[in-house]
Amino acid sequence: METDPQPILKLTGITKHYRSKASLFGRAGKPIVALQDLSLEVGAGEILGLVGESGSGKSTTGRLIVKLEVPDAGHIHLNGADTPKLKGKTLADFRRNVQMIFQDPYQSLNPHLSIYDTVAEPLIIHGAGDEAGRRQTVCETLGFAGLTPPEEYLNRYPHQLSGGQRQRVAIARAMVLQPAFVVADEPTSMLDASISFQIFNLLLEVRREMGVAILFITHSISAARYLCDRIAVIYRGSLMETGPADQVINNPLHPYTKALIDAQPGFDCVEADRYDTLLAAERDPVGGEHCPFYSRCSQAVKETCATSAPLLEHGESDHLAACYYI
Amino acid sequence: MSLPDHPKTAARPAGLSVRFHWIRRFREGWAIFRENLIGRIGLMLLGLFGLMALCSFIPPLIDPMYHPMTGVDPAISHSTGPSLKHWLGTDFIGRDIFSQLLAGARIAFMVGLSSALISILLGTTIGMIAGYAGRIADTLLMRLADMIMVMPTLLVVLILASLFGQLSIWTIVLLIALFRWPGVSRVIRAQTLTLKQRPFIEAARVAGASHTRIIFRHIMPNVLPLSLLYMTFRVTSAIIIEAALAFLGFGDPGTVSWGMMLQWVWKTGHMFQAPYWLLPPGICISLLTLSFFMLGRSMDEVLDPRLRKEDTNR
Amino acid sequence: MTLLDVKNLSISYQTRGGPLQAVEDISFALDKGKTLGFVGESGCGKSTIGLALMGLLPPNTTVTSGSVRFNGSDLLSLSEEKLRQVRWQKIAMIFQAAMNALNPVHRVSDQVAEAILAHTPGISKTDALAQVRELFDLVEIPIKRMNDYPHQYSGGMKQRAVIAMALACRPDLIIADEPTTALDVIVQAQILDEIKSIQKELNLGILFISHDISVVADVCDHIGVMYAGQLVEYGHRREVFESPGHPYTQELVGSHQALLGAQCQPQSAPSAAPNLLSPPPGCRYCDRCKEGGDTCRTEAPQWIELSDNHRIFCCHRDPEE
Repeated sequence: METDPQPILKLTGITKHYRSKASLFGRAGKPIVALQDLSLEVGAGEILGLVGESGSGKSTTGRLIVKLEVPDAGHIHLNGADTPKLKGKTLADFRRNVQMIFQDPYQSLNPHLSIYDTVAEPLIIHGAGDEAGRRQTVCETLGFAGLTPPEEYLNRYPHQLSGGQRQRVAIARAMVLQPAFVVADEPTSMLDASISFQIFNLLLEVRREMGVAILFITHSISAARYLCDRIAVIYRGSLMETGPADQVINNPLHPYTKALIDAQPGFDCVEADRYDTLLAAERDPVGGEHCPFYSRCSQAVKETCATSAPLLEHGESDHLAACYYI
Repeated sequence: MSLPDHPKTAARPAGLSVRFHWIRRFREGWAIFRENLIGRIGLMLLGLFGLMALCSFIPPLIDPMYHPMTGVDPAISHSTGPSLKHWLGTDFIGRDIFSQLLAGARIAFMVGLSSALISILLGTTIGMIAGYAGRIADTLLMRLADMIMVMPTLLVVLILASLFGQLSIWTIVLLIALFRWPGVSRVIRAQTLTLKQRPFIEAARVAGASHTRIIFRHIMPNVLPLSLLYMTFRVTSAIIIEAALAFLGFGDPGTVSWGMMLQWVWKTGHMFQAPYWLLPPGICISLLTLSFFMLGRSMDEVLDPRLRKEDTNR
Repeated sequence: MTLLDVKNLSISYQTRGGPLQAVEDISFALDKGKTLGFVGESGCGKSTIGLALMGLLPPNTTVTSGSVRFNGSDLLSLSEEKLRQVRWQKIAMIFQAAMNALNPVHRVSDQVAEAILAHTPGISKTDALAQVRELFDLVEIPIKRMNDYPHQYSGGMKQRAVIAMALACRPDLIIADEPTTALDVIVQAQILDEIKSIQKELNLGILFISHDISVVADVCDHIGVMYAGQLVEYGHRREVFESPGHPYTQELVGSHQALLGAQCQPQSAPSAAPNLLSPPPGCRYCDRCKEGGDTCRTEAPQWIELSDNHRIFCCHRDPEE
């Protein structure tokens, strides 16, 4: 898929630290870097996969985009507007246009609200339509999300549904305002394999029908390949590699991406196909500026990798990696 | 947005579904509650006292001399023991103790429930606001709560009563309520803090919900059961405080509460002479507070999330 | 040599709504040095089997029928005391939430030594710690990290420590219930490799329980696919994975392969597994099955042998097909 000249979402130089609270007897702890100078673009109608391990900062990125948190530095532009600065009417417009699908469908639905009330809530908040119109919109969205016939679900409660059905409700809630951008934060990590596959297909259909752009946050590189146009690999708060999904999977540039692909469990994993970029024993961490992956990388060269962090600029025009040796 | 035709459904209004939800929750809770012996005993006792309060209107209708406050048996001018005419005897000016006891039940319910209700409303609202808003509002509200919590309620009300003279029963209710919300607000605040982290609150934020909407639509239904639980304990303490005030002579002289009856026994020197007069109000106070307490304990069990269906589904 | 032989095992839970058949009529056998994997969605009963073998079923549970023979002796008829001896010494378990299996206030080495001391009468603390060192060597935890506290360990190291604990008494059988679910992919791959190499070294039998068919296919010799309390397919991993017979297995394998880039697109109706309080009379998968007919709803499925080592529990499929 060709990249849109005008990206719908643009992150530039995002940095986010978390600081542990000062205790009675100690000073505030060393700040933990969640994101370090992260820049990212998502085109309109594009699905970008953000792949990384837990603690890599991928969820933080999603939360920053939907304004559940504010960055310490950097800019987030959605449709040209700098989102951390939004207020009042423009903020309401932003909320209407950006939605999120959360990881755990058991936690992301209010147990005391019926399915109708859950899905209708964004409509009520943004004053869309009257009662009858809302009802119709909710029914259509539920039907679209694969909960058919929708009337059967309206008066049910989350605990009466299975995990997959709940996640469909969560997707319906996110889509009911027809947003332009959706963050999907590991939407299937709590679901069984065959159910999560259905959810992937639903997300693909959502994109096809509504033209929504999706940031798909996942730890599974195979899920990202199935769903995404482009993939961005993140490690300890920095991007390691970005590029078209097929290229990143079939021709990975960065040693970390290669390690991720090696690690995919599966039946037909031939030993010869492995990249083996992971060190058997981790190196001791070095101080100062260095490549984030240095301590685990078998390809690293001390003189360069341990003295400066490579920028995301090596490789071809649309397939880049932050590594000196590709 | 153009919408294609949609088959009209036998539409239930959404509001109705909310009510169904609460009915269903109540049924589920009731099923667990029914198996609890303590809860059943508490509820039975409570029913008995409720019946007493309801019946308190009957004696004055039979004969004006059964009026708990003003009705005096013209034939009696001192305290007498139980008789056919006066089941529990009469007090020092010939008023019927049984009808006083019934009226006392009414007052106890009134005082207990209304002051508990006010303190729960206050405590829940303040707790939710403190927990949700955090930062400076949280600090201020919780320090205020701490200050009130460490004040000895009875003593302060006694001082106020001696300063302002006789307090009406409603002033007493209000004072008790004002002094008893901090405990509730602490619990509700803690609950709100954990709720605030739950993804469904974040989902509402992402959808653009206002703070008031999040507090009253998303947080309140989740803390309400806990508030109700605390209400039963607050009823207990309100009844005891009112009884103590009345017994010490700071009650509303225009009402016949059980504490008031005890005060009359004591003031007229019948403490050890008229057990038929002393024991009934004393026993009633203990039993009523006990029954609310038992109810609360068993409700505690009903609200235990491990026993609820929604969570065993997982 | 057959290590574990389970025949017609049925287990039911007592719930408020009546008895719930969590596991129904399950038979399988496991040889020494082999790995058997159970795969299925959450709530299909796979964890219950593991708990039953360990004798750790919750009190509201009853084994309604069947036999479990381990090394020739019937586990279900053992007394509580005998069972305690078998547990951990002969059969050990790696739990799902392994991170929480370590006590945060004790050193990791002491906790593993504790497991050895508790089950080896007369052993001294020094000998036990020497064994711990060997075990840590086996699971590749650096010896210098031995005396750390659990919070100083990463998730992968905690999981290794828990595996060391399970190996403490040199058991013959290990039950691994979702041992890698909470871990990142790279760590998961390392732990899976670890389990495989330890098995080779110690000639262990492993019962591996997971919801992820790719993980099961990675480590197991035989695969049992479970759906709604029943075993629906059983066979050698190559056969199950390359030519799945049951529509549910086809769905699982298909969704896995589609993620790997294959062109097939498995689809099933988005319906939940049936309520096990009142299971339907026919096949339990029929609501989701795209091949099933009307007979599937009423007739109970039969075991069909696809080959010597491969059978499915289905109604509509002819073996000749």
